[in-house]
Amino acid sequence: MKQRIGVYICHCGGNISDYVDVEQLGKLMAKEDGVIISKDVMFACSDANQKEMINDINEKQLDAIVVASCSPKLHTHTFRGVAERAGINQYNYTQVNVREQCSWAHSDKPMDATVKAYGLIRAGINRVSYSESLESMEITAQKAVAVIGAGVAGMRAAVDLARMGSHVYLIEKENDVGGKIATAGKLFMTGENGKEVIARLYQRIKQLPNITVFTSAELGKVSGSIGNFFIDVNVKNELLKLNVGSVLVTTGFDFYAPKEGEFGYQLSDKVFTLQNFNKLVESGNGKLIHNGKPVKSIAYIYCVGNRQSKGENKYCSRQCCTAAIHSSLNVHEKFEGVKAFHIYRDIRTYGKQELLYQESSRKGDIYIKFEEKEPPVVEIKDNKPFIKVKDYLTSKKELTLDADLVVLVTGMVARTDSSEISSKLKIPIGSDKFFNEIHPKLKPVETVIKGVYIGGACQGPKNITESVQSALSGAAKINAVLRKGSIALEPIVARVNSEACAWCNKCSAVCEYDAVKPIESNGKMIAEVNNATCTGCGICAPVCPANAIEIAQYTDNEIESMIDGFSATANIEQRELEHGAKVEGGKSGMKEYPEIWNHIVTSINGSALTIPEISEKTGIESNLITWHLMTMNKYSVVEPAGLNSDETYYKYKLKK
Amino acid sequence: MSHINPEFVEEIKKYGAEDFHLCFNCGNCTAICSQSTKDESFPREMVRYSTLGLEDDIKSSLKPWMCYYCGECSTDCPRQAHPGELMMSLRRWLTSKYDWTGLSGLLYKHLSAYIIGFLLVIVGLIVFAAKLDWNQEKIMHFGHLFEMLAIAGVFAIILLPNIFRMWLYTIVRPKVKATVKVYFKAFSELLVHMFTQKRFLECEKTRETQIRWFEHFILVLGYLSLLFTTVFLDWFSSKNIFVIWLGYLESVVIFVVTFIFIMNRINKKEANHKFSQASDWFFVIWLFLMGITAFAVRLFIDLNILESNFWLFMVHLTVLVQWAIIIVPFGKWTHFLYRSFAMYFEKIKELAMQIKK
Repeated sequence: MKQRIGVYICHCGGNISDYVDVEQLGKLMAKEDGVIISKDVMFACSDANQKEMINDINEKQLDAIVVASCSPKLHTHTFRGVAERAGINQYNYTQVNVREQCSWAHSDKPMDATVKAYGLIRAGINRVSYSESLESMEITAQKAVAVIGAGVAGMRAAVDLARMGSHVYLIEKENDVGGKIATAGKLFMTGENGKEVIARLYQRIKQLPNITVFTSAELGKVSGSIGNFFIDVNVKNELLKLNVGSVLVTTGFDFYAPKEGEFGYQLSDKVFTLQNFNKLVESGNGKLIHNGKPVKSIAYIYCVGNRQSKGENKYCSRQCCTAAIHSSLNVHEKFEGVKAFHIYRDIRTYGKQELLYQESSRKGDIYIKFEEKEPPVVEIKDNKPFIKVKDYLTSKKELTLDADLVVLVTGMVARTDSSEISSKLKIPIGSDKFFNEIHPKLKPVETVIKGVYIGGACQGPKNITESVQSALSGAAKINAVLRKGSIALEPIVARVNSEACAWCNKCSAVCEYDAVKPIESNGKMIAEVNNATCTGCGICAPVCPANAIEIAQYTDNEIESMIDGFSATANIEQRELEHGAKVEGGKSGMKEYPEIWNHIVTSINGSALTIPEISEKTGIESNLITWHLMTMNKYSVVEPAGLNSDETYYKYKLKK
Repeated sequence: MSHINPEFVEEIKKYGAEDFHLCFNCGNCTAICSQSTKDESFPREMVRYSTLGLEDDIKSSLKPWMCYYCGECSTDCPRQAHPGELMMSLRRWLTSKYDWTGLSGLLYKHLSAYIIGFLLVIVGLIVFAAKLDWNQEKIMHFGHLFEMLAIAGVFAIILLPNIFRMWLYTIVRPKVKATVKVYFKAFSELLVHMFTQKRFLECEKTRETQIRWFEHFILVLGYLSLLFTTVFLDWFSSKNIFVIWLGYLESVVIFVVTFIFIMNRINKKEANHKFSQASDWFFVIWLFLMGITAFAVRLFIDLNILESNFWLFMVHLTVLVQWAIIIVPFGKWTHFLYRSFAMYFEKIKELAMQIKK
């Protein structure tokens, strides 16, 4: 039990103190058990206050601190640092969020915001009094990385990882490196050839001694955790065992393969996918010839196999619009007098790719917009494609057009073998079947498995630039973890009480990270937690029938004391806040219903009334009644009782 | 169902259209256009039809004639697709479609055709004058006679059949069911628009619009009344002081206003003057020359020096003949008729729709 606690309540320059009576809370908290010092400060995070806190801790011999300010996302590390510098354990500190959760959220009700802050700070004080001193865990890490998939993203990431000092194992399933780009022709924006890009990258890889490339290699069993993964690789019937600190998955994507008959696909040799069409363009010389006949017009049909609101692939593949327009411009550049029809849903040539669209429309390419519910129809008559489409830019006028060739602009789909990779590395797969990151913006290359990162189009549709960028950010993340040779892990992990545990397997079954395994101890089987893989998510604690597993910093004592602290009744005086709103006085507790509920309940009283009727009876504005009634309905205080006689309003009655 | 014709873009560009296919259908042009209404919206629709090459839809439309080219759409176009200039080009294209002889199209597309036509007129006049032994009196008499014949002939042979074709494309083929009563009821529309260009004033209500409308209005009045003064009041031979001064006034109006128009086209300040086709230049310059030579001829008569400077009358006659048999039937002059008839047909369509409902 910590008995010498310091409490610091932040004004945040008015952000908090305009709505929460910080001064009064500061005085009230001083009376709490174990609190030695309680202050309200203008900016808790300022250098001056940090110094003052260190002074207080040393002078008053404090053993724990509570800071009530903003979200822990912002300043946990700041105040852990303060604790450490003052010589107390950094885990004997608790952050209470009274800005995002009180003053900002309840700026319309300063009194309630103050009451809520009171509860939260008390909860924080109670929690910190049970806090333990914890030490972060150090594990050794292999300075080696397995990069799975040697496409442009994997190759580029391998180069960077190697240059930053890790040994890289670049594992490729195919016979050659380069992936999809190796067969591509001219690329936007540099105009370079795909083959040249790959050749140049491969040259750089060969010059780096700490990259080992395995081609015709397949990923086998994977075990271990961050810092020490053990990976089996089958290279031409030879089994290799690799020990790496981290894994970067850059397995890429597949192009959507149109079904037979989809926009005439496979019904005529004049219906191409964009990839095959590009090969035809590459091979053409002077004149674009197909089957011995010159090609005079081409119809590109966009979003094939993509953006299907009812189908499998709901997403947009981002790069296909640009790819199709780029192809069209290549055709114009190489061959003269070829007309192009772009039958599209939305043109998404974002950023500089817009220049391609502009150039194409300047060249006279015709753009025809359709909607998913009325897609173009491709009929093949005497092996000649004949297209009908409703143009949404001409008030859905039905248009027909002749095209010598039809090009299906297909999107990207997840690789068919991605489920296999996923089961080996335990990377979750999204509803789009691509690999899932933790958060698309905050943690875009991290997976829920510590040490396993994803980059490039295996995560979702990306163009080459974006693929390489994401793989490089994965490389940077990996380097940040592995460079020291050891990894410091948060000690907030699950702990097993070996006496109480009887290995019922329930915790292991729910663990998403495969962190709980049985071991023998004192003649019985008990659960053991792998600290390196455990994320402290806490899912194991509630399922344990013997209450034998708990999470550090979230022990039962801590959580229960927080509830006690939060639910205490506050005695807050009415005061005029200096710059902010007025705090109305009176007694209020967190568990009480709003006063207005009582009025509503008494007015309904056994009958069934509509909102205007309740409003009239109680004399409270009807929209206020509506808001509260909806909440009461949600919490099963009231329930709807059918329509009134002229069917304009629902009636509500009390729920028994 | 309409068939897309990608070749149309090149065709319409020969009539002066700029890169209108740069349009990405934002609709700013339609939003800014004061003439465009919910039921009759343009110019975006016309830009779209032109990009797709839906010739039949354009041919049956009266919308190009609803535009008076204030140029707002071209100024505000984020893609520099110049919708205003496209509408202008569509009017040229429509003129050539209405013309049964096909000469309009030839003249619009080939400057050389214009020049050959003008040269042929000069040669013809010299041969004709030589045949009359350069007898001044006979030539002047012929000049007067020619005016009457030209008006009657051009109307009967070229313009009336063309208006009939316009009616065919815009009323008959789109199956507008209009009773004779409707034709009578809407008729006032034709006269009002022909003599006042009232709709012009509905363009963006600014001082510039009012000035443009006024210039155009007095030019039309001046032109029509000078025609009347020379043909029916025989200005050049008249002794009536009122007729003489009226003729002076009318010819001054014509060459002053056309001079302003020519300067506008040279200065290219406003969007509607940025692009000028040969047909535009010939129209304003020839009108200017007609006004100034007519003025000079009458002045020379009053000063009694025409006989010694008969070349002046020959110049005037040349300009007049070129105007009457090239520019009036096949050039820009026809917009005077087609635009007024477009308003008339539009009214007929509107009334027919009302009856149908």
